[in-house]
This record gives sequence, C-alpha cells and structure tokens, in this order.
Amino acid sequence: MDDTASSLACHGLEKYLGEDESRVHVLRGVSLAINPGEVHAVVGPSGCGKSSLLYILGLLDRPDAGTLWIGREEIATLSDDLLSARRNEELGFIFQFHFLLQDFTAIENVVIPMRRLGGSTDGEMRERAAGLLDAVGLSDKADRSSRALSGGEQQRVAIARALANDPAVILADEPTGNLDTANSARVFALLKDLVHRERKALLLVTHNPAIAQACDWIHTMRDGLIVDSAWHG
Amino acid sequence: MSPASHIALRFTVSRKRSLALSLVGVIFGVAFFILTQAQTQGFERYFIQTIIGTSGAVIISDRFQSRYTSFSDAGARAAEDVMRSRGQGRRKYYEGITNAAEIMRVARQFSNVSACAPVVQGTVGIRSNFTSEVLSVQGVDLDAQLAATALRSQIIAGRIEDYRASRAGVMLGSLLADKLQVGVGDTVQMTGPDPKPRTFTVTAIFRTGNNIIDERRGYIEQRAAQGLLKKPGLVSVIIVKLRDPDRAPEIAAHFERLFGHRARSWQERERGNLQIFSTLRLSAGITVSLIILLAGFLIFNTLTMAVMEKIREIAILRSMGYRRLDISVIFLGQGILVATIGSVLGAAAGALFTYLVSLIPIKVTGFFYTDRFLVAWSWQHYLTAAAIAFIAVLGASFLPARRAANLAPVATLRGSGQ
Ligand SMILES: Nc1ncnc2c1ncn2[C@@H]1O[C@H](COP(=O)(O)OP(=O)(O)OP(=O)(O)O)[C@@H](O)[C@H]1O
Ligand SMILES: [Mg+2]
Repeated sequence: MDDTASSLACHGLEKYLGEDESRVHVLRGVSLAINPGEVHAVVGPSGCGKSSLLYILGLLDRPDAGTLWIGREEIATLSDDLLSARRNEELGFIFQFHFLLQDFTAIENVVIPMRRLGGSTDGEMRERAAGLLDAVGLSDKADRSSRALSGGEQQRVAIARALANDPAVILADEPTGNLDTANSARVFALLKDLVHRERKALLLVTHNPAIAQACDWIHTMRDGLIVDSAWHG
Repeated sequence: MSPASHIALRFTVSRKRSLALSLVGVIFGVAFFILTQAQTQGFERYFIQTIIGTSGAVIISDRFQSRYTSFSDAGARAAEDVMRSRGQGRRKYYEGITNAAEIMRVARQFSNVSACAPVVQGTVGIRSNFTSEVLSVQGVDLDAQLAATALRSQIIAGRIEDYRASRAGVMLGSLLADKLQVGVGDTVQMTGPDPKPRTFTVTAIFRTGNNIIDERRGYIEQRAAQGLLKKPGLVSVIIVKLRDPDRAPEIAAHFERLFGHRARSWQERERGNLQIFSTLRLSAGITVSLIILLAGFLIFNTLTMAVMEKIREIAILRSMGYRRLDISVIFLGQGILVATIGSVLGAAAGALFTYLVSLIPIKVTGFFYTDRFLVAWSWQHYLTAAAIAFIAVLGASFLPARRAANLAPVATLRGSGQ
C-alpha cells in the first residue's frame, strides 16, 4: 500500500436500524480517514452509534448510504465472499465483549484466522500464535481451554487473535474494557507500538479518557455524527 | 484439512454424546438394511437356482402357428391384423416337439446354451402296495438330463448309477415316495393311456425342495415313457441350460422366432413368485430405512441445537473472514462425519450379522429345500445402505447448515450486549 492512500476511509456513512416505527437513524453521515501509522479513538455517550460505525468499517454490516474504502479499494460492490476475504486479510476486529471459540484452546483460537488465510504450516501458525500470546502476556496459558481463562485473559487472547493475520487495519470496540489498569496499559501500549512501528491503522472505541488522550486522533460522536475530531499527535 | 472441516471436527467432538446417538442409529440402520437385503436376496437367489436347476432356464415346448397362416383370404388376414393390433395375437398350438434332435442341434450352437435335454411328459397313475397316486411322469435321457439340470445334487436316497443299470427304474420325488410309502428297492406300478400296468423299481429318490414337484414328479427312461403314454417318438419339452440365465428372456424370444415353438424363460414362468420375493425385499428395505430416517431426525435436532448454541461463535468466525460456505461446511461436515463413520461401521456390522445369520440352522421346504439361513453377499446392498444413510443424514444436516450460513453476524454481535 502506498502512503498516499488512507488505510481506511469513509465518507457520508449513514445507517438505519430497526423496522418501521422503531427505525433509528443510527449513523447520519460519518466521514473519517485513517492513515497508516495512526491511532484513532472514538468517544461518545452510550448509544451514539460507535459500535454501529465499527461494524460497517469492519465489513460486518453494510451502510445505507455513503462510501467506504479499504486502501484504494471501494468495498460497496464486493460480494459477500470477497468481504469475508477482506476481513480475513486486511482487518482485525476486537469486540467489546471477548468472544472466543469455546471448544478451542487459547492458542488454537489465535490460529483460527490463520487457517482461513492459509499458506502456512501448522507449525508456523502455532509459532506465530505463541509469539502473539506472549506479547499479550499469556505465554504460560497458551494451551488452556478458553473456558478456563478469566475475562481479562480471554480479552487478551481476542486481541492476539485480531493480530493473527497481520492486518493493515485494526478495529477495536473497547478493547480494554475488561482489563485492570496494568493490563489495559500494557495492551494499549502493545497495539500503539505495533501501529507506529509497522504503519498499521487502529481505530478504537473507548470510554477511558487516559487511553483516548494517548491516541493520535480523538473523534467525538454524538447522535450518529462525529461532532469533533482533534489531533493529539 | 480445510479450515472449516477442522472446526467441524472439533464441534463434533464437543457434541459427541448427542451425535453418538444419531451415529448409533445410522450404524444399526445400515447394518439391518444390509442384513435384510442379504437374507431376502439369499432366499430369492436360492429359489431361482432351484427352479433353473430343476426345470431349466428356458423350456421349449409346443409348436405354434399363427392363425393367419391357416387362412389365405385377405379378409381373414385383415381380421388377424386387427387382433394383433389389439395385442391379442392368438396362436394355435400343436402338442410337443417332433423334430427335437434338430432343434437341440441348432440350440447348442448358441454360445449361451450349455446343455439341452429332451423330456417326454405326461400324467399317469402310480400304485404301491400301500396306495395309488397321480404321477407326473418325466421320460428323460439320463445323461442329457444330468447335464441340463441339477438332478444329481437333488438325489437324497439311492444312486443314479443303479438307475442307469436297471432296466425299468424310476426316480421318485421325496414327497411322492412318502405318500406311496416306498423306498429304494421297492416296486411300483404305472398305468397310462395304455391300460396294461407296467412295473418299475424305485432306484433313487430326489428332493428339489419345491413341494409341487416333489409330490408329483418321477423320472423314467424316455422310451419307456413314450410307451406308457402311447406317444412314440414324441418329445414334450426341451430343457435348455444357459451359461447366463439372466439373458433367458432374450434367448427364449429368439428361439420362438427361430423354431416356431413356444419357449418360456424362468423369469416368465415364475413371474408371480419372483414378484413376491422382490416385494418382500422392497418392504424390508423400506422398513429398515425408517431407522436411518430416524437417525436423520436426530441429526437434524442435534445440529439445529448446535447452531443455536454456537450462534455467537458463528458470528466471530464470520468476522474473522470465514465465508458463508465455510460455515455451512462446518455443520454439514458434522453430518458427513456421522454418515461416513455410520456407513463404514454399519457395513462392518451388517457383514458380521449376515455371516452370523448364515450359520443359523433352519429347515425350509416348499419353494426350495434348505437347512440353514440363506444369505446373498452383494456389494450393491452395502452401496445402497450407504447411499440411503448419506441422503438421510445430509438431507437432515442441510437445513441447519444453511440456517447457520445465512445468519447475519452483526445481528448476533449487536444482540450480545454492545
Ligand atoms: N436492532 C436495532 N434496532 C433499532 N435500534 C437499534 C438496534 N440496534 C441498536 N440500535 C440503536 O442504535 C444506536 C446505536 O447503537 P450502538 O450499539 O452503535 O451504540 P454505541 O455507541 O456502541 O453504545 P455503547 O457505548 O453503549 O456500546 C443505539 O441508540 C441503539 O439503541
Ligand atoms: Mg458499543
């Protein structure tokens, strides 16, 4: 990817949710551009549409209006299978609630996106997964069943999993919501360092002012709109 | 292994208890299907073997003549055409075969024909010291008869060689011998159109297993039969043995056209009985297939629950880039696994059951004679059972799999608290 293109950009995104009377205009024209090497925070009150925006940027939902690019590719026309492929290759998604696959161990959870990507041997995949788990401080729990991990540990496995395929864009919905201060700082430092070092792009939703302040950009959302974007870099 | 089947395998293992129940259903369904088919076809094949061994694959009998050739005027010809077009092609028969040697010489030139035997048939009275009975007498040429039928293996008392050596010997059906209360060495008297009774010595007793034959038939020398029946030089039927009895209908049709004699295949002669066997086989197959269908329902149930239980994990997999197809493979894969393991183990169990059943002693007479359970070994039974298992199980897995594939990940993710 050349540096003149944003890693992720959207323009005038709109989204309606619900049917008929309960129909809500959740996003009312959101525009953003995230360049390689930048960490962006989205803050705003509960219900303002932060998660909805992330689902659209994460190609899990389609906007009702507006355009979206990943790198130089406009994604509106992509088929479902191609969207899946982009999610697998380009995006890492960290959910507000840690979602691991129950029947798999920590390391196997990290390997799952790699398997879909293909091209590596089992040994290579496990080695890379072990490195990622080490980076989030879980090297000693790699072979534990995900059922036997605490909430914070599961969250960290989910973060390692989001990085599994070395994505260009990382989208995180309150990634540190379940973590204590020490782990929260550690995970954020890891992500931020990775973004700056490897020129990736990170967009994270957070309620934690300390984390927001440490980002390059802070976007404040209210009622489906970005009302303020401030650079902190 | 594809990424999706890897996950399918893990999901299957984690649901092993409920899937095991379906698996047991498939195994037993497949095994019982194979067992019932092996049995019904075993008996059917033996029945066919019996009738071919006793009466030949094709029987050539009376000469016929199209009615049409016996009239020369055009009007009759037109009438005949009308009758033919109604499918009533009526033919006039003349009893027996006068040129038997010639017909057999030609018939033997067919590569599928392995032997021919001329037989003189008729009904006579038979008397022992005990009682009188009706005898369907068969005047045979012994060597031709032995070559064309399974007579030698049907002998249960006495010896063929004694019959051959004796001047006026008779081989009697086992049930008829019982009725007459005669054994090997006893004498009987036969009375036919020629009122003068003739004496024969019982030199052997045979059992085909077919009651109708065993209580009526007796074999005597051909010339003697012709004398007894007052039909010198006449042959009633020619028994034809074929190398490939399945092709009997074509050969029979060909012989009819060639010789102008009626020729009937065993399939035509035994149509009714054969239909009973195939109906039995079908109904056993359907009944046992229900077990497999039941297993299908169990799978449907298990997988539907699995999809509901894994709804969040499906959404995560989708968010990580797993395609719709991958998701359906994950659930279909569980079905494929159950169907594959079920078919393999079921086939093994089916083969074992079939073998064990074949050891069970059981006496059957009526249609044929056997003293143990008859089974047929046919790969087609195994293939059919596996096909039914796959259709039932994959059919049952399809709906849950499609449902899982069509789940919108965002609906699940949003519903989970964000
Ligand atoms: N299925 C739905 N039908 C109608 N409205 C919905 C539906 N799902 C979400 N909403 C509404 O959309 C709005 C945006 O929701 P969203 O989850 O994006 O908020 P959020 O900013 O992530 O909030 P939070 O900080 O609590 O996670 C909310 O007002 C919510 O009530
Ligand atoms: Mg949210």
